[in-house]
Amino acid sequence: MAWSLLWRFSRTLLAVWALASVVFLLSHHDTDTAAQFALSDSSEFVGSGSSSDSAKYQAAQSAVLHRLGLDLPLFYVGRITFSPSGASQWQWHGFANQYHRWLTGVLKGDLGTSFRTGQTVSARLLQALAYTLPLTGTAAMLSVLAALGLAQRLAAGPWWQRPVRTLLVSLHALPLFVVALLLLLLFANPEVFAWFPTYGLDQPTTLTASPWARTATYVLHMVLPITALILTALPDLTLQLTASLTHELGSDYAATARAKGLSGSAVIRHHALRNALLPTLTQIAELLPALVAGALVVEVVFALPGMGRLLAEAAASRDYPVLVGGVLLTGAARLLALLLADLLYLWADPRIRWQP
Amino acid sequence: MKPTFSGSLLLFAAIALLLQGCSSPEDKSSSIRVRWSHDPETLNVLQPPSQPAFDAANLIYTSLLHSNFSTEKLEPALAEDYPTTQYIGDSLTRLSYHIRSVATWDDGRPVLATDVDFTLKLMFCPGLPNETAQLEFDFIRALIPDPNDPRHFTLECRGQSLEYPQSSGEFFIVPEAAVDPKGLLRRFTLAELQRLPPNAPADSALVRVARQYQAFAPGALPGCGPYQLSAWEKDRYLTFRRKEKWWGSKIQPTPFVLQARPSQLDFVIIPDASTASLALQRGDLDVFPQVPAREFARLQNSSAARAKLAFYSVPSYDVVTAGFNTRRPALADALTRKALGRCFDTAGLIKATQLGAGQQTVGIISPLDRANYNDSLAPLPFDLTAAAAMLRQAGWRRESTADDAGLVRTKAQGELQRLRLVVRYRAEESTFATAALQFQAAAASIGVAVSLLPTEAGSFAATLKSGDFDMYVRTLKGNPFMFNYVPLYHSRALGQSNVTGFSTPASDRLIDAITRARTPKRKSQLLRRFQTMLQTEAPIIPLFFLPTRVAANRNLTGLHVNSLKPGFAITTVERSAVPSPTTTP
Repeated sequence: MAWSLLWRFSRTLLAVWALASVVFLLSHHDTDTAAQFALSDSSEFVGSGSSSDSAKYQAAQSAVLHRLGLDLPLFYVGRITFSPSGASQWQWHGFANQYHRWLTGVLKGDLGTSFRTGQTVSARLLQALAYTLPLTGTAAMLSVLAALGLAQRLAAGPWWQRPVRTLLVSLHALPLFVVALLLLLLFANPEVFAWFPTYGLDQPTTLTASPWARTATYVLHMVLPITALILTALPDLTLQLTASLTHELGSDYAATARAKGLSGSAVIRHHALRNALLPTLTQIAELLPALVAGALVVEVVFALPGMGRLLAEAAASRDYPVLVGGVLLTGAARLLALLLADLLYLWADPRIRWQP
Repeated sequence: MKPTFSGSLLLFAAIALLLQGCSSPEDKSSSIRVRWSHDPETLNVLQPPSQPAFDAANLIYTSLLHSNFSTEKLEPALAEDYPTTQYIGDSLTRLSYHIRSVATWDDGRPVLATDVDFTLKLMFCPGLPNETAQLEFDFIRALIPDPNDPRHFTLECRGQSLEYPQSSGEFFIVPEAAVDPKGLLRRFTLAELQRLPPNAPADSALVRVARQYQAFAPGALPGCGPYQLSAWEKDRYLTFRRKEKWWGSKIQPTPFVLQARPSQLDFVIIPDASTASLALQRGDLDVFPQVPAREFARLQNSSAARAKLAFYSVPSYDVVTAGFNTRRPALADALTRKALGRCFDTAGLIKATQLGAGQQTVGIISPLDRANYNDSLAPLPFDLTAAAAMLRQAGWRRESTADDAGLVRTKAQGELQRLRLVVRYRAEESTFATAALQFQAAAASIGVAVSLLPTEAGSFAATLKSGDFDMYVRTLKGNPFMFNYVPLYHSRALGQSNVTGFSTPASDRLIDAITRARTPKRKSQLLRRFQTMLQTEAPIIPLFFLPTRVAANRNLTGLHVNSLKPGFAITTVERSAVPSPTTTP
């Protein structure tokens, strides 16, 4: 068992390294665009005062590449093209290359420095995670609890199960941005109900308020974003678990339990639920990478800071160190989620045994 | 189902929390809250990377000259007056400035010529994010201090241009004493730093200065502007507080560019326009600049919003243009380009994308600039019959044999050319998509096959630069101060910023003459000729100037909504008891 776990963990680490390396190497092929972002685009300005001399622009571009460490060879080996003949051949660049510098940094816990802000990547990721985890974590926890409660009731077959199922299926069809905008336009709109704040986590003016008032403001600001996330995660979890529970309740052991005089809810809680959880465990494990990656749509609609916006903006502005750091983090979370799912399977169904 | 005790307790707590949150003491009167769509990311004073970063730096730091948003002119800010200009021979210009005697840094030290000299040198110090500044200010080759007056200095500039007096004063000044107390940069002349090759071995003194500059937290570098950054929550908000002893207020009457009326400014980051619009209606926001057309119209049509908000719309200096890759053989002749230019229904596009608020133009100089706009020209008409006739005149004929019949022509060498175009535009911009779709439909009706290629913003600039396009639709950002067209249309900028690839010896001469013009009258004549040339050669088709739309709380005064970025005067806004008029034209 321990060896098996160690083996799986090693494989996970290897996969995370491979994933981050591929993203690093692919993204750093486009260094010219990153350099262009650091310089103003003269082709976009009418009557620019900027120097138009091609040689000076090239020199400025070289200076940017040098400052960002992008003037080094990308990898240990690379193809060099000889002009004017056009012939090319493989060449060993040694350890003075971008990948080696990045990898040794990662091994020391240094993910690099943001091209845009000059801040360390770790600081940026931690800052964003501090905003994202309470949002996505609360939403995921409440979604799972709500799904567990609702599915147990739906599986018992009450009279209201059909309209609720229809509602859940309809909700499932709505994209997150529609749900988020609907909530915003309904419950933060002075022309409908202005019950909740429109944006952010608090206001600059509330910084001087009492801790209780600040907590209350924070909670109020989180209600709509969390509700949006719950409403999009809940239908899938509930419908899957309900279907699974219904299937289990039709099996012989459930019939035996009922014949022994147990109530419907007791049969679900004590016998069927654990078996029905198996497919849902994968879904729950899938929530883990989403916890770390953030919820871009919700962050944009409700003007919340977080990982989603950080990574989307890093990708758009070619801030590769932040992007690769984010991929490393979310990739690790996804692979750990798979490991966790395996462990939960083992807990839910002891008949399952790992094959090393 | 009976409610349990814990359930009731939870409900009670939630209601209490809600009431507490709703009644939280939010002092909405002390600060002015402005929406920004994105975080400034950095407050690098040498090279603000975005408009929010520039606006933020503008509050903390001051430049010699500053835009006056009420007159839309550059006016003396840190400088006592405009510089006096002296031309030396035909290749040098000397500009003499005098810094205001009341101007001080946060610690009370006076702002001196040595600070200006230090700032210029810092722009060329290796290892700092200053490359754009190097490109913009490389025309200044030396600062000559006045031995008798530490506030007086002369900037020696390479070349001669009418724009030097303005462009030489548009950079934020950095305090030497804070960044380089030991005067390490004084060992170098500006020319020496400008001559340093990009990959030169690092000089220890320069490395030290660069480290010292970068060691300052964002906004912590002392400035001589009216505000100090008091809070910055990334991706959430920035708060600026007015200095208690702002030197600008000692000058009576205080010039417009040195006024600092709001005691506190909060810039809140709200990426989504709908969210910002709701916040504005609720009173959680005071100013919403650059409102999208449809959101602006929706607010204007809402009676509840009209009661609370004032709406402003003025023309901007940003022009939507279509451009041709003139290096493509099919687009190398002006007649074909002009014919295709007649496929744009500009009036229809203004109506569809700006709800009628844009301004048609003959060129890339704004019609607001009455002195230089060539009003003797007429905007290109939307005329498909004329376009078809001009294409025939250019040698294009329908190819009837092929399945996908299009236009072809045979060149002198017997080579067959096809008129099939790929139009690129930034994927996230609906204005460009609408223009491209309208062009595609119009061009198809005269037999020109057009495919659209929405391109991600980062790749868009790269593809234009590499010439991987036939046509593009984009915005060119303008201002009323600079008329240097070398980056856009000169042969010196081919392969860099001249993305259309257009240049002729005559156009090069004309552009050079504009930059060298000694009098405004001469410059105006040349600019009018330049607009005629652009319309004749048609490397681009200027479509329309975009409007600047601002929606604001009706209780605000002193907004001075104008055509310059960010569209209003941040430092003159005040909250008033009397509501301002609902709308200005």
